[in-house]
Amino acid sequence: MNITELLLSTVRMATPILLVALAELYSERAGLVNIGLDGIMSFGALTGFMVCFLTGSPYLGILAGACGGILVNMIYAYCTISLCAEQIVYGMAVNIFAPAVASFIYRIYFGVSSTLAQGSLMKTIAVPGLKNLPFLGKLLFDQTPMVYFAYLMVAVTAVFFNRTKAGLNYKAVGEYPKAAETLGINVIRQKYLACIICGALAGIGGAYLTTCYVNTYSDGVVAGRGFIALSAVIFGRWSSGGVLLACLLFGFCDALQLRLQIMSTATPYQMFQMIPYVCTLVALAVFGIKKAGPKANGKPYMREER
Amino acid sequence: MIVDEVCDTAPILQGKRGTLMEEILCMEHITKQFGSVFANRDINLEVRRGEVHTLLGENGAGKSTLMNVLFGLYQPTAGKIYLNGKPVKITSPAEAVKLGIGMVHQHFMLVEAMTVLENIILGDRRTSGIFIDKDSRRKEITELADRYGLEIELDKPVTEIAVGAQQRVEIMKALYRGAELLVLDEPTAALTDIEVEGLFSIIEKLKSENKSVIFISHKMREVLRISDRITVLRAGETVCTVERSETDGPKLANLMMGRDLVPSHYEKIEQPGAPVMALTDVSYHKASKHSGLNDVSLTVSRGEIVGIAGVDGNGQSQLAQIVTGVLTPDEGEVDLKGSKIAQFTPNGFILENVSHIPEDRNKMGLIGNMSVQDNIVLKATEQPKFSDGKGFHLKRRAIHDYALAMQEKYDIRCESVEQESRNLSGGNQQKIILARELEGNPDLLVAVHPTRGLDIGATRFVHDSMIDARNRGCGVLLISADFDEVLEISDRIIVMFEGQVMGVYSGKNPPVEEISLAMAGK
Amino acid sequence: MKRRKNLMSVLVPLASVLLAFVIGAIIIAALGGSPVQAVAYLFKGAFGTPNNIASTLVKATPLIFTGLCACFAYRCGVFNLGGEGQFIMGSIATCWVATTWGMEGPGAMLLCLLFGALAGGIWGAIPGFLKITRGLNEMIVSIMLNYIATLFMGLLYTSVLRDGNVPQTAAVPDATQLQRIVPNLRVTWGIVIALAVAAVVQYFLFSTSKGFQLRAVGLNMTAARFNGFDVNKIILFSFVISGAIAGLGGSVELLGTQYRLISGYAVGYGFDGVAMALIAQLNPVATVIVAYFFAVLRTGANTMQAGTGVPTSVIDIIQALVIVLAVAGFALVKLPQIRQWLVSRTGKSKKEEK
Repeated sequence: MNITELLLSTVRMATPILLVALAELYSERAGLVNIGLDGIMSFGALTGFMVCFLTGSPYLGILAGACGGILVNMIYAYCTISLCAEQIVYGMAVNIFAPAVASFIYRIYFGVSSTLAQGSLMKTIAVPGLKNLPFLGKLLFDQTPMVYFAYLMVAVTAVFFNRTKAGLNYKAVGEYPKAAETLGINVIRQKYLACIICGALAGIGGAYLTTCYVNTYSDGVVAGRGFIALSAVIFGRWSSGGVLLACLLFGFCDALQLRLQIMSTATPYQMFQMIPYVCTLVALAVFGIKKAGPKANGKPYMREER
Repeated sequence: MIVDEVCDTAPILQGKRGTLMEEILCMEHITKQFGSVFANRDINLEVRRGEVHTLLGENGAGKSTLMNVLFGLYQPTAGKIYLNGKPVKITSPAEAVKLGIGMVHQHFMLVEAMTVLENIILGDRRTSGIFIDKDSRRKEITELADRYGLEIELDKPVTEIAVGAQQRVEIMKALYRGAELLVLDEPTAALTDIEVEGLFSIIEKLKSENKSVIFISHKMREVLRISDRITVLRAGETVCTVERSETDGPKLANLMMGRDLVPSHYEKIEQPGAPVMALTDVSYHKASKHSGLNDVSLTVSRGEIVGIAGVDGNGQSQLAQIVTGVLTPDEGEVDLKGSKIAQFTPNGFILENVSHIPEDRNKMGLIGNMSVQDNIVLKATEQPKFSDGKGFHLKRRAIHDYALAMQEKYDIRCESVEQESRNLSGGNQQKIILARELEGNPDLLVAVHPTRGLDIGATRFVHDSMIDARNRGCGVLLISADFDEVLEISDRIIVMFEGQVMGVYSGKNPPVEEISLAMAGK
Repeated sequence: MKRRKNLMSVLVPLASVLLAFVIGAIIIAALGGSPVQAVAYLFKGAFGTPNNIASTLVKATPLIFTGLCACFAYRCGVFNLGGEGQFIMGSIATCWVATTWGMEGPGAMLLCLLFGALAGGIWGAIPGFLKITRGLNEMIVSIMLNYIATLFMGLLYTSVLRDGNVPQTAAVPDATQLQRIVPNLRVTWGIVIALAVAAVVQYFLFSTSKGFQLRAVGLNMTAARFNGFDVNKIILFSFVISGAIAGLGGSVELLGTQYRLISGYAVGYGFDGVAMALIAQLNPVATVIVAYFFAVLRTGANTMQAGTGVPTSVIDIIQALVIVLAVAGFALVKLPQIRQWLVSRTGKSKKEEK
């Protein structure tokens, strides 16, 4: 087993999970638990693929994925923020609704056939100079731009939450909205903004799957990554650095299980496919603490009557 | 307005605003109505620059409402507010802050996950730029802190600092935003003695810098120590405003809670039966002054009502939850009907025939989405009366009939016993709980704030029911912040203050002044 | 008061269905089809011939089980999203007993059903146990277990229990299968079992003391605790039983309809169950009706596609729309402002004396 190959794979496979995990981070930091990530990803995957197929540009596909994700998440936003529906329940509804719409659109356009339509695949772009670094060079600096984007987002997120005023105010909304309100922060507006960011990033994560990872769309393309991303946020203790590590771990499991499948033909491949999910469970069981995370997470915010 | 001859009212300044006397705040004829209830009625308050002005009053007197009006959380039904002589309309807390009013709430508005520095600068729009310039902010705040003698550690997370330090952060928040008038709501409730001293030095410093402080408290010792002037509120109205130099503890206690002793409707028992519950040196979170118990010993006997008097937040909730099995004490012994309790579970106490009227009927007492009849039989569904085979088949008819009987007996006003209990008024909800808790002929009844939010009729009913239970041999532990209620029905009165028993008094001809003082900590 | 609440419980889903159909009709029209014709074929496919009705019942059976599973758990306030995994584990256990134990006949069938329920119950106990001991989020745990169960099943039919060269398990022997109720129609006793379970769940929740306590915990955990209920025990119980229901469903599906484990087995039944329970407002009887409705849509969809060319995915959309609209609708009518508006329209006062 070539370690470099394995690590290369790890980075590639961690990326979509990372994007979606960051999306959920932004959402939960504003107090909104969004379990509809799988659904948003599916829709992002579809819109990304379609636009990429139609225009030939994977980059436009990514953009379309972002827009698609925002669109779907706005439904969630309206229902949970303004209608105060239960976030969990609505997240489930999105998980059922969004993939159905995605599947529908795909079938309408491409019809039902066993061969999948092929779009363009995003090419890797090596960072000049840095790519010649030993070991790390190939690993980190010779990937598709989306990978760079994802890692950049990790840094941006860290800086945003830790060093900017807007980030500080943002966090207050998820921790103690009432206090934030008394300090003049517009809680409702902040929550909607959070949903836009979440939708965009999750949509991009989905689009990555159909324009960079593979160049086809199929119904099961998301494969539960949304929920793995959810665990990554818990596992990473709601910090972007922690989330990065968690995603790399899950990406590693993903990459490992693929390698192991190829390597050992004796063991049924499903055993290996289980690894990421078992890993998530174990990680949760060992590290998942009860009441961690933004304090007002999951609670609907109602402006009290004055 | 209630007038007492003991009170020598300093005339409230009328028609001269902000000019002659260095007056910073004037609240005139403030009235706040909620439906038909007057939380504040025609209140006048006037605060001078550089003064510590105390708002004194018992629970429900209207202090919090008045301050919420000042801070923009409520809009007054009538009345005007003047700041520095100019009329102002305070529409939101942000507006109040802009006008120079700072509020330190009883429950701190601090984000636990953030550091002290972050909490202070949160939401501040006065600086420019995207990034937080931690160094400049740090410098600014440290200067301010030194000026007012506030010791704060800027980089510690809020959860790691003591309560006294947290309070200093809240004060700092207000000063950082340029507050000229600070409102401190029950600031010493959660502080240790040393921390209280620290707070007082800060208040002195604020005075010397010409800031004004509105101090809300029920603790006499502190009020007498720190105030320049004191305004007493009772039942939503101003009683009077006095200079500190012209009054003392007993006078204030009388103004605050003074009432002519109205002879109680009820016969008081002086020779109760055998003890049904005894606490010996029970402690829970000993160090906490407002949510703990410190070596509490008391007895409740059959056929008597023991009333625990005291302002909310002196350990009463914890006491109630220990004697009903919800909490387990850290130290000490609890005996029920002669035998020591080994394990504290609610079910264990229920099986021993202990009934509980909880302090929050909606959160702890009733299942709001279930019907009235379901709530009445909530604990009893496995009894042969209501089901076959120990819960295997609920006898709907029997339950319904029983509920109808209870509705009649306890005068529960509702459209039907199958209605969801959350749709009933507070009084009727309480009657559901009474029906459930009293019918089983309990040995011990623990009633916490049983008439909170109820009108006179419902209150009378609850009291009658409790007296009946007592007369049937039940021991009753009443915990209430309503002093009138405690005086009305208790056979013995125990005063609790900061988790400790201050004294035990007879319920027949109770020494009201002495009790009032004990409630205030003396 | 109660009348209005019941009215809302029925009106909101009905309105959602109507609205969803309207949107579906628009989509069909946009695709160049005729909505009226499509609906006609839909109904024909579901109700046209006795065989069609039988097919609908067959399709409804597994949905009833997973719907009841979600319903039972959510009644206790817990989000058991693992219905899919519990269903599959039930099927796996059944397959194991039916094909490897060397037994056949009605006795084996009963054993299969038992083991199916057991397997589902155990699989459901895992998230429950982790929740009450470590406070873990039961949603993530149960969904991870879904994937593990599905992969495990794949492992079985491609290797361990593989029957010949095709990736599927051996079929359940004829004698062990659930028999047809009427000779020429597809419907088996499975639907009867499903309805029986629904009746038992309904009875348990509303006519027994334990069910009463379970509902109390789901509605107000604090008050339940103060009134002496053993909340942790009740929560674990709800996980186990809801898992067992799903497991039993898996068993019935294998013994009555599918007979062997194969790729694509039971995909989506779990989440559909959750959706149905939500639309049915956690009422067991209503869950059966909603499950039947969904089955009607699915059975009819194939006929519709064959007859008019309108793709079955439109039905998926309509189904999804019903869910989204129903949940939003319920939230809408609960809002304080809307409530006040409704009260002022119906003229009844909410609170009695104040």
